[in-house]
Amino acid sequence: MHITTIGKYTALEALRTRVPGTALLALVLLVCASLFIRELAVFEAMRFQTGFYAAAARLVAVFLTSVYVLASITREFNDKGLEVVLALDVPRTHYICGKLAGFMVVAVFIAIIISLPLWVLAPAGAACAWTVSLTVELALITALSLFCVVTFSQLLPAAGFVAAFYLLARSITAMRLMGAHPISGEGTPSQQISLVLVEGLGYLLPALDQWTATTWLVDSPPEPVQLLGIFLQGMVYLALLTAAALFDFHRRSL
Amino acid sequence: MSALFRESEERTLHAVPFMVPLLLALALALQIIIHSQQATPQARAEALEPAPSANVLRAASFGESIVAAQFSVLYLQAFDNQPGISIPFRALDYNLVMSWLQIALQFDPQSGYPLMMASQLYGQVNDEPRQRMMCEFVHARFLDAPDKRWRWLAHCAIMAKHRLRDQTLALRYATDITRYAGTASGWARQMRIFILEDMGELGSAKVLLGGLLATGEVTDPSELHFLTERLKALESAEKSSSTTKNRQ
Repeated sequence: MHITTIGKYTALEALRTRVPGTALLALVLLVCASLFIRELAVFEAMRFQTGFYAAAARLVAVFLTSVYVLASITREFNDKGLEVVLALDVPRTHYICGKLAGFMVVAVFIAIIISLPLWVLAPAGAACAWTVSLTVELALITALSLFCVVTFSQLLPAAGFVAAFYLLARSITAMRLMGAHPISGEGTPSQQISLVLVEGLGYLLPALDQWTATTWLVDSPPEPVQLLGIFLQGMVYLALLTAAALFDFHRRSL
Repeated sequence: MSALFRESEERTLHAVPFMVPLLLALALALQIIIHSQQATPQARAEALEPAPSANVLRAASFGESIVAAQFSVLYLQAFDNQPGISIPFRALDYNLVMSWLQIALQFDPQSGYPLMMASQLYGQVNDEPRQRMMCEFVHARFLDAPDKRWRWLAHCAIMAKHRLRDQTLALRYATDITRYAGTASGWARQMRIFILEDMGELGSAKVLLGGLLATGEVTDPSELHFLTERLKALESAEKSSSTTKNRQ
């Protein structure tokens, strides 16, 4: 009951703070930018347009979702809204889960809006797979942002951590490849330590470079089993981040 | 829905001190004036940098390899946007051009853009060594995916025949298309026969054309008619040349 109510009002807050309008404006700007790129290309213009739009839309969607979650919770902390809610004897777990549910609705909405042009630029099956994968990715970013803002309490360090995590998760595969095949110094202690560290990070981070891939739209869509793997990994990481957020929130002194 | 368009609570414009909008307008005007005094940026041929290494590009692209490849070719293309196609191309270091095309193809092997640029843009410069360099680049990349890239090599074969006037090179390319690109169009796979004919290798051309017709590979009636007539023409040309030799 608490979870549903908190989730509903969290989603309503997104409506009142013009998140849909912002997402639509971002979509228009991205389409215009992709048309510009299309005009630059003298060959395979559609491929250029689709590739650029998909890559840019993904980044913008992650940015919008993350910033919204971070700003919303930070504002609630600063306005003492959290103290009011907890004074009403709402369990802390219900608060976090309710907030997460509301933010998930916002993330799904952003994913659907941002992916609309791709239903025209790419085959329907590929656009569908891309949208589903983006939704899972945004759900993960939502949980990560919630965890960061609960842990750090301030907007700047939380935003910095989310950005660093996301960029690292997108480049971890490249880092593992570089670590395993260095140009020089192979076998040296420093290279071995670097390799262990990078491989260790690989265990902890999801390989986001394989999610929501542009190649699905311009070459061939993913196999259903690949999409299922992304969904399962996303759910596991979502549970991990939610547990971490709950852990920190329960330890928070108010 | 009305919440989306609710008016925010703002003070009137009269509440703003006069100096503030004046400062705003002045600063904007100064910015526009300063920008208008600066020269338009020109991509100079000698400013083309070597392409980044694959590792660096892979890390910097955060998994977006296709977009990284696309931006690589668009960046390279910016050095073409100058008046007069031959002069700026002559000034370009074609080894650097090849490095950019190579990295773009490595990151997006499904795209034909880099090979299109190599064969139909950079290969058109009026400089034989550069043309040959681009043709060899296209040939090397063709061998990686013949069924996808045969059309660019076909263009190079035609260029070798008509612009470089190198029948041997054209024949080599045409032979490789026939040998490796099983899904290439009929005209491309038949190029080698007509190049042999042009080289005076009537016997070889006749054997290849006869073999092509015998395998039943060609099914289009118009094409069959055309090739059959060519075979008859080759046979009569061979007969007349052997009659001339006997008379001598």
